[in-house]
Amino acid sequence: MAQERAEVVLNPELCKGCGRCIDACPKHAISLGAEINQSSGMSPVGIDYGVCNHCGLCITACPEPHGLGHHQYDFTRRADAQSRPESVPPRRIPLPELEPVVLEGNHAAAIGAILAGCRHVFGYPITPSTEGAELMARLLPQLGGVFLQACSEVATVNHMYGCGGAGLPTMTFTSSPGFSLMLEGISYLIGAELPGVFVNVMRPGPGLGYIGPEQSDIKLVCRGLGHGNTHAIVLAPTSPQEMLDLTFAAFELAFRYRNPVVVAADGYLGQITGRVSLPDSMIEPGLPGWAVWGDKAHKGNLNTSILQDWAELERHNERISAKYREMERREQRSATYRAEGAHTLIIAAGTPARMAKAATARLRREGRSAGLFQPVTLWPFPIDALREPLKRAERLVVVEASDGQLEDELRLALQKANIGGIPIHHLRHMGGILPTVDEIYDTVRHVTEVEH
Amino acid sequence: MTTSALYTHFARHAGGAGLKGASTHYCAGCGHGLAHKFVAEALVELGVQDRTIMVSPVGCAVFLFYYFDTGNTQAAHGRAPAVALGHKLANPEAIVVSYQGDGDLAAIGLAEIMHAAQLGIPISVVFVNNAIYGMTGGQMAPTTLTGQWSTTTQDGRGPLQGAPMRVSEVIAQSDGAMYVERCALFDQKQRKRCKNAIKKALRLQLEGRGLGFVEILSECPTHWRMSSREAEAHVRDVLSTVFPLGVIKDEERQPWFTLPKPDFSPERVLAAIGASDAAPPRHCRGFPEHIDAADVSIKLAGAGGDGAQTAALLLTKAAISEGFDSTHIPSYGPESRGGTSYADVHVAREEVLSPGAPEPHALVAFNAPSLEKFASTVRPGGLVIYDSSVIRTVPDVAAGVRVVPVPCTAIARELGNARVKNVVALGALQEALRLLEPASLLAALGRSLAGKSEWIAVNEEAFRRGGSAAAGRS
Repeated sequence: MAQERAEVVLNPELCKGCGRCIDACPKHAISLGAEINQSSGMSPVGIDYGVCNHCGLCITACPEPHGLGHHQYDFTRRADAQSRPESVPPRRIPLPELEPVVLEGNHAAAIGAILAGCRHVFGYPITPSTEGAELMARLLPQLGGVFLQACSEVATVNHMYGCGGAGLPTMTFTSSPGFSLMLEGISYLIGAELPGVFVNVMRPGPGLGYIGPEQSDIKLVCRGLGHGNTHAIVLAPTSPQEMLDLTFAAFELAFRYRNPVVVAADGYLGQITGRVSLPDSMIEPGLPGWAVWGDKAHKGNLNTSILQDWAELERHNERISAKYREMERREQRSATYRAEGAHTLIIAAGTPARMAKAATARLRREGRSAGLFQPVTLWPFPIDALREPLKRAERLVVVEASDGQLEDELRLALQKANIGGIPIHHLRHMGGILPTVDEIYDTVRHVTEVEH
Repeated sequence: MTTSALYTHFARHAGGAGLKGASTHYCAGCGHGLAHKFVAEALVELGVQDRTIMVSPVGCAVFLFYYFDTGNTQAAHGRAPAVALGHKLANPEAIVVSYQGDGDLAAIGLAEIMHAAQLGIPISVVFVNNAIYGMTGGQMAPTTLTGQWSTTTQDGRGPLQGAPMRVSEVIAQSDGAMYVERCALFDQKQRKRCKNAIKKALRLQLEGRGLGFVEILSECPTHWRMSSREAEAHVRDVLSTVFPLGVIKDEERQPWFTLPKPDFSPERVLAAIGASDAAPPRHCRGFPEHIDAADVSIKLAGAGGDGAQTAALLLTKAAISEGFDSTHIPSYGPESRGGTSYADVHVAREEVLSPGAPEPHALVAFNAPSLEKFASTVRPGGLVIYDSSVIRTVPDVAAGVRVVPVPCTAIARELGNARVKNVVALGALQEALRLLEPASLLAALGRSLAGKSEWIAVNEEAFRRGGSAAAGRS
């Protein structure tokens, strides 16, 4: 008696005519087809059902999932689109009033990340950022977290792509040469709309450069985050306190916009130790609805940056650009010191802003009309807040530890805002040398007196 | 009953329209479709479809997510194992499959797969080797055979292009890879073995045992310029002689992979970061105005290992616990030990504006070069303390600078521990400068030696002896 077997069915429209089933058939019931199928344009194989005993071996040999099967393919059938689960929001947990702690800048950033709910850190050692990774490697195991030392910065950013893609807060510490290597992955994060926090403790280049402080990557973080139309919010701290505060804030921003956030510190900030007040709350992360988490609820989710349809890819870019415009509207941050009514306005960010503040204090003590405008977001450049002090300012002095990378951002922002005509002077250092208080003081006096 | 984790309808393939919604993007006879089917069947048979994440590579399988009804992540070229590890560490319950071709895995992604294999965290790797770059149009792969034509080896792969890489044998050398098998698709027996190998690799992951690696010799009729059946024969007769089929490694390993749950209890977090709501006692009655109205700067300089940084940190911590602002910034030479080591400290009433100390109120020099370098920078009326055990000559200083020799090294040796010379110097600095109160520094010293109580006595004695030496009492 013949064994009961499910019928073998060929779906001719879905057969590409490769013929791999032919040799798989012990009955030699299958042959290459001669006729071209009108809908597929291919020549499907033919099955001689007089010979076929429905053993099914041809199905196992067919590379097309629906080419050969046990039933006619139903072209009208549509799987129910899987609905995206509700996001579990992060939970803010109040903290008691705490005494200030004494922290090195890299450690302060690490603790900011821990308080922001980050328990997954990936990294590759590089001076002068390494203490951040070392502290994470020590603390995270105490908190059920994971520090994985990656085989490179390239691997690091891709570990983050997976972990951030699973919807969890993740971060790394790096420094300029390492950050260069992460740019590809950052472009992918932006394309796939995934969060991740990069603390880049910048050091001088080009190439290996050395390990001192430089604001060497302002161009990269503002204009060069890998290929494509990329931007990310860039936060520039000036102290261990801001290393903690801005790293803490970076996580919320990264999840709000589903985009990487860069904390652009410098070697000096990484190494400096100072007083740090802790925030009044910490975060327990939730799980976003879009996460590729690895359970039934999130099964329909996809993280990808490839879009085959050109029009769809343009729309995708437009959607991402709309996020950039929103960041420009909502996320500009800056600080000022005695900037109101200042005739000479110093523009400085990061560590040089600290020296500029001291120089401003000295100039003011001497009755000179000087003030400081400090971009806290390097991108978006805080042009809105600059308008007010610009009304009275007669000149700008850009003080930075790079070859004009901050000044380029300022000039572009001024031009986009149609603000022109104000003389821009500068004081620059590179190689690990920072502008000193004396130099800033002298530069401001010099440009003021030369103009008059 | 669902028997496969592939979608019935490929809604992501060209929007699911027409025939594309039911067929793959692969060329006729391509082995990828079979590899997909076997992975998809194995996922269902193991009951893990819902918790699976497929990581797709760059290459012909870039659109894996068109087909797999699982969580999906598309990775950058070569980085699929790194991405897979990110997923696995985020959610250890997820079953993560890194699916890669030969260019992706064996060329651009070799570092990532080698380190994932050495690490051995349980993920499953499916490596589809067809000895050619398919998606970019038939260029040489690391696994292209010697003599094989490709668009970038027009005369056949020759000596200047190297020999084909036997990837599974390389992976099998890695300690973390517990199971490595090379399979093929050219006949029913091979297909069955291939499916079983995939299933085994997945099961090892499911059981938390380790990393499984399945290489699949796969046909690329298009770029081999063969019919599908010729391509099958080519794998059977040629490819599998260069890349021998079979189990390359199959170790017994007990389940080991578990991760704790992330802890968000505030108590644990605050304990880990060393935060406390208990205010340290204050000993100072006010800011040391006799030195400066608002901001005192001190430089400690020596060779690496002299303890300048440790002493500077103690100053900073003590000053902050007194309610002042304080900063410490080191400057090291390139060597980890033995190079130059300078530390700048500020103590400010309100806020340290500029943390560098180019013109310090006080200098502590542990060796002659440091004293030579910085003595003249000390501002008029300031203080220089130097280790008179090791420095013989004192350079010129500004008017009114007080120079105090302290035999730091000799005192430390007398105390039986040369390493406490920095604390001797700190005691001397406190005595000569009266920056804080001795009790502030001793308290900071005690806190920094928490857990090493046997060191407290000698350090306290070093501090006291330094003070006496500076006072001329020793």
